[in-house]
Amino acid sequence: MISQAGFSQSNIIISPVDQFDDQLLNLISGEIKSVFNCNTQITPLLQNIDFALDQNREQYHSTLIIEQLAKTAPPYALKVIGITKKDLFIPILTYVYGEAQLGGKASIISTNRLNEGISSSHTDPRFAQRVAKEAVHELGHTFNLRHCRENTCVMHYGRGIEDVDKKSNQLCGYCKVLLDDEIKRL
Amino acid sequence: MSGAKILIVDDELIVRESLAGWLERDNHDVTTAASGEDAILILKEKRFNILLVDIKMDGMSGLELLEKVMENDPDVAVVMITAYGSIDTAIHAMKAGASDYLLKPFDPGELGVLIDRIVERQARALENLFLKEQLKDRTRFESMIGQSESMQKVFDLIENVASADSTVLITGETGTGKGLAGKAFHTSSPRSGGPFVVVNCGAIPEHLMESELFGHQKGAFTDAKETKKGRLELAHGGTLFLDEIGEIGMRMQIDLLRVLEDRIFYRVGGIQPIEADFRIIAATNRNLREAIKNQTFRQDLFYRLNVISLEMPPLRKRKEDIPLLADHFLRRYTQETNKKIDKVNRDAMDEMMLHQWPGNVRELENAIERAVVVGKGRNIGVQDLPFYESALPGPGSGNTLKEIEKEHIVQILNDNKGNISKCAKILGIDRSTLYSKIKLYNLKK
Repeated sequence: MISQAGFSQSNIIISPVDQFDDQLLNLISGEIKSVFNCNTQITPLLQNIDFALDQNREQYHSTLIIEQLAKTAPPYALKVIGITKKDLFIPILTYVYGEAQLGGKASIISTNRLNEGISSSHTDPRFAQRVAKEAVHELGHTFNLRHCRENTCVMHYGRGIEDVDKKSNQLCGYCKVLLDDEIKRL
Repeated sequence: MSGAKILIVDDELIVRESLAGWLERDNHDVTTAASGEDAILILKEKRFNILLVDIKMDGMSGLELLEKVMENDPDVAVVMITAYGSIDTAIHAMKAGASDYLLKPFDPGELGVLIDRIVERQARALENLFLKEQLKDRTRFESMIGQSESMQKVFDLIENVASADSTVLITGETGTGKGLAGKAFHTSSPRSGGPFVVVNCGAIPEHLMESELFGHQKGAFTDAKETKKGRLELAHGGTLFLDEIGEIGMRMQIDLLRVLEDRIFYRVGGIQPIEADFRIIAATNRNLREAIKNQTFRQDLFYRLNVISLEMPPLRKRKEDIPLLADHFLRRYTQETNKKIDKVNRDAMDEMMLHQWPGNVRELENAIERAVVVGKGRNIGVQDLPFYESALPGPGSGNTLKEIEKEHIVQILNDNKGNISKCAKILGIDRSTLYSKIKLYNLKK
């Protein structure tokens, strides 16, 4: 059980799987701190994610990766968010931007399709915004937040990149209340 | 398109959340279940339009769930989600009642398209069911339309005597649908699989009537180059509909009476008795009791024919059916002519409701057909109605109805140079009726 006062001392680990620009990782870190009001730490937990590669699809099975991230997370980590450049999938869908354990510890996002329609440079602010929003979104799931009908809420389900661009990087009032409840519960 | 109630059944949370997220964006009301067992519990509380079910689940499989759903609610559309390798299972599911299947992996966009298609299909099926039910009320028999009490009585009578083999006499003014009623008696009877043979007694000259009804042997008369079966023989196993029976000559009435009594007849020039099994339905617009008094119709034949009697109500006595009939004919003729006319406008409908329709439904049909042909806009207006500028004398002229009818027929005959077919069509009556009216009023073509 973590008191709310002590919650800010808790850590969310940002675990890059591939090489990422520091500026991008710092931006993600800042957004996460702002939304979840806790410490963040950038620590690579997995050497690679080859174990999740599906040879036929040439994509990585996100469910396997988050299972591994949960296993390798240090005890002090409240939540973990992996970030990869690899294209992710779940068997039912052709691709996913990310996956999270609902109310669990681990989540992951892929930047592979987040540069759609914009420069693939990791320094493009629009790209960085997309990555940060998706990271907050997936982490939100680990705090038991489900998809939100409010299209400006960061927990809104994004069908495509336009939806990601449209939504804000913040939780709506309703999701904030749910997050507070979840934090009290932890 | 309003949202459908969708239940997603999958044991993987990410699948449930992803699909629910996608479908909620299309305003569908989505519920999720983590197992077949959970789905059964949810289904007890709520009815869904569509179920998305993963075939492979722990516990109750998708197929088992499908079977249970189909037992309880076969109208629900069940979409099975299956992996490429288990396509046989998907086919098995389709045979078990699944409406579609989705192969993993799929783009949720495909799912959206599929859901829209199912929602549309369900709406159409519901609409068809509604239309069928509506049609059942309006047209309990093919092409007979009417919601009025008098038409409902007609439908009831036809239904009630459907299994009887008795002779029927249908009376009613010209154009009231006596022929359709005759056909309805046939189609609702056990003889419906047999032929429905029509003899228009008013249209066949008397000297040809015998051969037409009974047939003839080769060489029976000068033009009898081949042996020919008569209508009575052709009606074997079915129904013989004798239209305009009131126009039949006295000699033929005796022959017909004999046939009705012993069901045996001879072809003209034939010596072999022929037996035929048919039901007779006769129709007339004449007052046969009056004709009996005038000794132009045999009383014994009348009683033979009048075992079951049906009087078709004139249109002026069931005016509430006019909009329904007008709409029916409008649809028919706009389809035939490929014209885009939506409806009869209010003024035209008011005129139609005020009109007395001496030619009954046939006159209404002709009026709508003409209006569709001459109409220029999207609606039929008063100017398109044939009786709108009618030269008929008004009710205050002091003439009797017969005098008005006679004058009107004379005018139409003059206007159309005595062309019977054209005049009959304009008057909304059939040719034989026009002939009999010409005879009645002693008119010259």
